[in-house]
Amino acid sequence: MNSKLAGVVAALVLALAACGSGQEGPAGGGTATPDASAVIEIGSLYEPQNLDNTAGGGQGVTEAFNGNVYEGLFRLTDAGKVDNLLAKGYEVADDGLTYTFELREGVKFHSGKALTPADVKHSIERVTAEDSQSARKSSLEAIESVETPDDGTVVVKLAHRSVSLVYNLTYVWIVNADAEDLATAEDGTGPYELGAWKRGSTLSLDRFPGYWGTPPANNGVVFHYFTDATALNNALLTNAVDIVTSQQSPDALAQFTGNPDYKVSEGHSTTKLLLAFNDRKAPFDKPLVRKAVSSAIDDAKLLESIWAGHGSLIGSMVPPTDPWYEDLTKVNPYDVELAKRQLAEAGYAKGFRFTLDTPNYDPHPTAAAFIKSELAKVGITVDINVITADEWYSKVYKNHDFAATLQEHVNDRDVVWYGDPGFYWGYDDKQVSEWIKDAERAKTPEEQTELLKKANRRIAEDAAGDWLYLYPQIVVAASNVSGYPVNGLNSQFYAYGIKKS
Amino acid sequence: MGRYLLRRTAFLLASLLLAASLLFVLLRLLPGDPSNALVSVGATPEQLAAARRQIGSDLPLPEQFASWLGGLARLDLGTSFVSKLPVGSEIAARLSVTVPLTLLAFALAVMVALPVGFLAAWRSDRWYGPLLNGVAQLGVAVPVFWIGMLLVTVFALRLRMLPAGGFPREDWAEPGRALTSLLLPVVTIALVMSASLIRYVRSATVDVLGSDFLRTARAMGESFGGAMWRHGLRNASVPVISILGIELATTFLGAVVVESVFTLPGLGTLLIKGIAEHDYPVIQGVLVVSTLAVLLIGFAADVVQRLVDPRLRAHVGGGRP
Amino acid sequence: MKGRHTFAAGCVLVGLVLAMAVVSLVWLPYDPSDTTGGRLAPPGGEHLLGTDKLGRDLLTHLMVGARIALTVGAGSVLVGGVLGVAAGLLAGFATRWLDDALSAALDILIAFPTLLLAMLVVAVREASLGSAIVAIGLAMSGVVARLTRVLVKRVLAQDFITASRTSGTSWPRLVTEHVLPNIWPTLLVNLALQLGLAVLAEASLSYLGLGPPPPNASWGRLLQEAQATVLTAPIGAIAPGVLLVVLVVGVNLVADGLRDLADPTRRSSR
Repeated sequence: MNSKLAGVVAALVLALAACGSGQEGPAGGGTATPDASAVIEIGSLYEPQNLDNTAGGGQGVTEAFNGNVYEGLFRLTDAGKVDNLLAKGYEVADDGLTYTFELREGVKFHSGKALTPADVKHSIERVTAEDSQSARKSSLEAIESVETPDDGTVVVKLAHRSVSLVYNLTYVWIVNADAEDLATAEDGTGPYELGAWKRGSTLSLDRFPGYWGTPPANNGVVFHYFTDATALNNALLTNAVDIVTSQQSPDALAQFTGNPDYKVSEGHSTTKLLLAFNDRKAPFDKPLVRKAVSSAIDDAKLLESIWAGHGSLIGSMVPPTDPWYEDLTKVNPYDVELAKRQLAEAGYAKGFRFTLDTPNYDPHPTAAAFIKSELAKVGITVDINVITADEWYSKVYKNHDFAATLQEHVNDRDVVWYGDPGFYWGYDDKQVSEWIKDAERAKTPEEQTELLKKANRRIAEDAAGDWLYLYPQIVVAASNVSGYPVNGLNSQFYAYGIKKS
Repeated sequence: MGRYLLRRTAFLLASLLLAASLLFVLLRLLPGDPSNALVSVGATPEQLAAARRQIGSDLPLPEQFASWLGGLARLDLGTSFVSKLPVGSEIAARLSVTVPLTLLAFALAVMVALPVGFLAAWRSDRWYGPLLNGVAQLGVAVPVFWIGMLLVTVFALRLRMLPAGGFPREDWAEPGRALTSLLLPVVTIALVMSASLIRYVRSATVDVLGSDFLRTARAMGESFGGAMWRHGLRNASVPVISILGIELATTFLGAVVVESVFTLPGLGTLLIKGIAEHDYPVIQGVLVVSTLAVLLIGFAADVVQRLVDPRLRAHVGGGRP
Repeated sequence: MKGRHTFAAGCVLVGLVLAMAVVSLVWLPYDPSDTTGGRLAPPGGEHLLGTDKLGRDLLTHLMVGARIALTVGAGSVLVGGVLGVAAGLLAGFATRWLDDALSAALDILIAFPTLLLAMLVVAVREASLGSAIVAIGLAMSGVVARLTRVLVKRVLAQDFITASRTSGTSWPRLVTEHVLPNIWPTLLVNLALQLGLAVLAEASLSYLGLGPPPPNASWGRLLQEAQATVLTAPIGAIAPGVLLVVLVVGVNLVADGLRDLADPTRRSSR
């Protein structure tokens, strides 16, 4: 997976009632006695680009640091619940525009300084700053000011209601306002402090003796970084690592499933593979054409060939872990005859030809080849244009110079991009934009859910994009390791509960 | 000799300057935008502009060029766009893997190739002479990464004797573990490298064995060993040293691929990452350091050759003859 | 006699790969993007060599790979040969400072390592077949140019050339009538060796993900992809490697054979 795109995304939402196998707390179960002096060796494909999540640190730094080195005012648990963390509690004024957060006492940064409201103010303003590269920036746009009336309180004033504010604050790291260099060093309040980062190889986290909360169940963790799934699996097979945060290749799974030395857990992911149309330009400006294309592609078969039975179909942009999820796979079912009728009705009875901009890393080229052969059956000719991630940003994302493209979207709650006509795919429906805007300004989560459900249904009916499938989230660990997050997903990976026996 | 060294050094510096300038120009012709590595889906136009400002890719090119050359003169390779770490220290850290890997592989290759190559020539009439030659012929045709893959499969995945890849985070503080991690990569490179060396050694030996001076020396009553030692070695060593220089440089560069196979944190993997992220300072830094290494090896081979055979006259341009 | 046998053996090996490539132009067992074969089907039955992890026919991909290997090999020899011989001729005829400058430039080009140079070209352009050809060809041109220069100088030093030069033969005629005919056998042998190296360089680039993009998998990329399933489906990790060796050994044998045929007095020493 492209770590860049996965980007600064923060953790995935497994929102409130994380369903299915959403486990509260640790997974896995060792019967032997845990060894608190053990260091856990973690294998990952996502090395941080740098250590600052507001300066392009990427998915890797979220995985290694979120909750481990840095803490927010709130924590999103592995099950998707929002808990108090550095905030002891909060109050919201009746108009929903003033939030008063009460800070926990006795919290120290790794440098030894005590946490103050000024640090919280600084930390929030880092994310909203003009030069911030945080993907969270736009989600905090409602914030008008941050005030620090006394040593234990932070007051956030909003320009308009923001029902997800507390949820969004789980991604805002509280950093020491005096820290000078956060790109190659850290100063957080978490249970671990940075040991050493050997770029291209390992990043180690050591226990922080001055931690305010429960100390970690292990004596530290080391993230080992690999550039391809095969090397990662080999490391697990040869016991060089204890656990793999996110398995990206189904091929090696056979070696671990059914092997008593390993435990394979499948949790929830929010990463979606999209066939995104340029909704501004013909022929994809016609919903009927987009629907026809969606119906012409057998998503189930694609998922089987790439993920061999793992992962799921969603039919829209919202994964099952979001409160506003609905099963929309029937809206544009796989039906070649239907697709042909729709094409004829849209005036393309003889089909057409378009170029599919395809990122050059897996699974995009494979999916592109599959789509090409599927669409050939309804008379549509696909020219596959393979491009680099860099070109994708310039050509597709910035310049909107494309007909259709493939891309994986890892962000949680990213259905909101369909409310922005300036986004790369250019979906422009006044009603949807309004619903999405109102949803964030809703008074209650129920109201928010209601509005986002409507928006999601509408984009599915319009086939604003073709949501091919939802990735699986697979964690493989040695069987003597327990207490790891299974939904920790590509982004956050709380390491403090992991035990080795 | 002094004049020669001076001239050779001037040539080296000029080459380096030229290479550095060329690199800069080539990279800036790139259609890509390095700030793309810093943003993610959801970035606003303001954020995109801020990313460009942050890494200085919005500055005029001559200004960027001057600061790069100025830094180079102070041995400062700049700061990575992406990791924000100084490129010089990153390269230094990577060299602690790549240099031992190269030298060990090269030493092993030479130790294998010298006796085998000699034997293949000296005993070309016995059954094993042609066999050794055939094996070497095969060896030069095998892609180095394939050997690496096969060795990993057998020794790491099947037999579980050696690690499949990676380098201990303690580095050389634990020499045993560091060496164990390097064992398979070293053997991989050495296998391929020795194959091509064997062919050179064999050919040099064939030439010496058939030479008049050896026959003369033998006719004058010297033992074969003595004649070889006194005349053969010296005559064979001149071309061999030059080849060794080239091969050492090749080994160093071949390490790029092998580091990838074994996920070693070396110069090669740094370069590949830099290319993927359009991280110009890193790409420039690695390529300048590699070019310098190759030039220095060539320099050293030249000097050694002169010491061995003072008959060599100044070769214009100083390149390997 | 020996040269002829070597040459013939090389031709057989190269011919094998060439045949695969030629056939692939008109017929393939399956469409390269056809994934109906089922994951990792074993060899035999409908798929002679089995399928890969996406259900694509391995033999089909090997045939397409043969085409890519030969295209890149021949293409980069063409690029490197034309550039190298041109630069070499220029340097060979040049005297004093121009000769010095050209030789120095060649030395720098050679010090700039092939694979890294190729990686740089890929960075400047993009990962594609064309980039790989240009990159490898460029890197090769330095070596070819240096060899050409030495050969040209050697020819020019001969008496009959000096004679025809003083008698006013124009230098284009000199090149076509005297220089090229004298140097081409050696050049040809060298270019053949370079072709083998180019094929290996392309495989390395592809292995590193810098070669032509998928779905046009070259052998190097097939090997990289097969790494994930080397324990469960080893044939995918072996067959492309074997073909690479066959092609490169073949090319090297052709080169050795050519050398021996061109210069029967010299023993096949390499």
